[in-house]
Amino acid sequence: MTKPVKIAWLYPDLMSTYGDRGNVLVLAKRCVWRGLKAEIVPITLETSTATLSGCDIIFMGGAQDRQQKLAGSDFLRHKGPVVKKMVEKGAPALFVCAAYQFVGKFYKPYKGDPIPGAGIWDLSTEHPGDQAKRLIGNTAAEIINPIELAGTVMVGFENHGGYTTLGASMKPLARVIKGGGNNGTDGYEGATYKNSIGSYFHGPLLPKNPTIADWLISRVAGDLKPLDDTLELQANNAVR
Amino acid sequence: MGDVVIHNATGANLLNGIVSSFIRKADWLGRVGADVGIFEVDENSLPIVLTYMKPSRVVLLNLFRDQLDRYGEVDVIVEKWTQALAKLPRATQFILNSDDPGIASLGSAVKGKVLYFGINDRKKFLKIAEHATDSTFCPRCGKRLEYEGMYFSHLGLWQCPSCGNKRPTPDVSVWPTALPGLYNQYNTLAAVATVTSFPIPYATVKHALVGFMPAFGRQEEIAVGDKKVKVFLSKNPTGFNASLRTVLEMGSDHILLVLNDRIPDGRDVSWIWDVDFEMIPKNTNVTVSGDRVFDMALRMKYADTGATVKHDRDLSQALHDAIEMTPKGKVLYVLATYSGMLEVRGMLTGRKIL
Repeated sequence: MTKPVKIAWLYPDLMSTYGDRGNVLVLAKRCVWRGLKAEIVPITLETSTATLSGCDIIFMGGAQDRQQKLAGSDFLRHKGPVVKKMVEKGAPALFVCAAYQFVGKFYKPYKGDPIPGAGIWDLSTEHPGDQAKRLIGNTAAEIINPIELAGTVMVGFENHGGYTTLGASMKPLARVIKGGGNNGTDGYEGATYKNSIGSYFHGPLLPKNPTIADWLISRVAGDLKPLDDTLELQANNAVR
Repeated sequence: MGDVVIHNATGANLLNGIVSSFIRKADWLGRVGADVGIFEVDENSLPIVLTYMKPSRVVLLNLFRDQLDRYGEVDVIVEKWTQALAKLPRATQFILNSDDPGIASLGSAVKGKVLYFGINDRKKFLKIAEHATDSTFCPRCGKRLEYEGMYFSHLGLWQCPSCGNKRPTPDVSVWPTALPGLYNQYNTLAAVATVTSFPIPYATVKHALVGFMPAFGRQEEIAVGDKKVKVFLSKNPTGFNASLRTVLEMGSDHILLVLNDRIPDGRDVSWIWDVDFEMIPKNTNVTVSGDRVFDMALRMKYADTGATVKHDRDLSQALHDAIEMTPKGKVLYVLATYSGMLEVRGMLTGRKIL
């Protein structure tokens, strides 16, 4: 394959708070180490939707409130509809933390009106009030969907006040082993739809979960040569 | 001469640490016989501390994302500071960093006199912006800021093309730095600006800065046989980038990275992916250790700079090996999170502080 795998990184300057860069670095390096070309394409407020739709893999990460408002209006009006079209056509995508909430239908804050989401996915999030427990800490979960990844233990760190409920067309990504998961009650973590994955495990999800990275890459590049993941698995094991 | 000063010198900068520093100076009747209090205050504790004291000066250095898992977000802190500082009386003067948009913009929210410090040296601009940049959007109107140049992170010569908000001209911008590193240049300028707001002669300032010794973990140098170990506290992306750049400028080729995830370090280690480890050249020997040794080793693997990277979960072994590897007469540079810094220091000086 001579064409580079193009990795769209949505709002690297606005939605990148907790080391989200780790995900695109891992995707790119795991292509390059296999002799595939890879290109990280930053998509921000000023980037055209044509540049976005020319990409192969989509990543969008966490954000602070002020930054999310800036990115939010651009995403709802311009980039969101393009991402929806790409996801529907089967483009591999990863949404973590704030992005995971934001691709849903709405976010209902503790006070005030619901904030509309991009409606790419059938899920919604609600903040249960200032007395409710914020879900913070190291996490582990056993993947159940997509089927190719079933049984893999994913690890990370969660930090969210919103509780998310999946709609009928969504499948849960994993069963919680440690941590709060989507809402602290139903025992599920994250969601999948077609070739897109979303998770509350924020920031650098892919470095310690290389099988998820490879699954995303293989949607574009087909079968992949194995890499030496000793260090990745040691880091994964240390969190369990 | 000879004022009695209360100071939280060990870096215990939460409310209890500040109160403890008073208790240490109190007599058995609880009377505190001191003339001056100088306190380093944790960013989240500042509004709480200000409900108990009305300082004559408030010095605000910068605001970087630090331990987000404990405190939430930089924006939330700016908002809390704005409210707390606006309540201070006209007699309180402010010493603010003109190069940090969030800090400089606080100048319009306060009643008292404001002095700005900042760097006017275009030669010190970064070639490319760092990734760990927090605030490149106007704190007043939210539009993207324009920079003539950046010194590090989001510090630089900034202006807002939309609402006209711009970097104030610094009142103090030139003074030789007391320690290496651009962040110490800022610390020096802040100290000098603060002192000039009092009737203190320049000669006294000069004299004080010449005799300045770094606090532990802040570039402290420890001799180990015929080698030296220099310890840099590096606890967040901006601090880590600044330490790394300083260390590399000093010509280091032996580095020990220590990543812990205890409460004082912050439990979340995600931030290491915002540090530009890619700047480490390939002829460098890097040793990695700490509670989260594999996370840091993995970060170095994906930085993929060609540097030689070894890792050992056992910190005393890693420290021993890294010192062994460092040639005679050379310096081993240790970049560590807070508890890792204390551990390394304890091992080298033979006493633990934790």
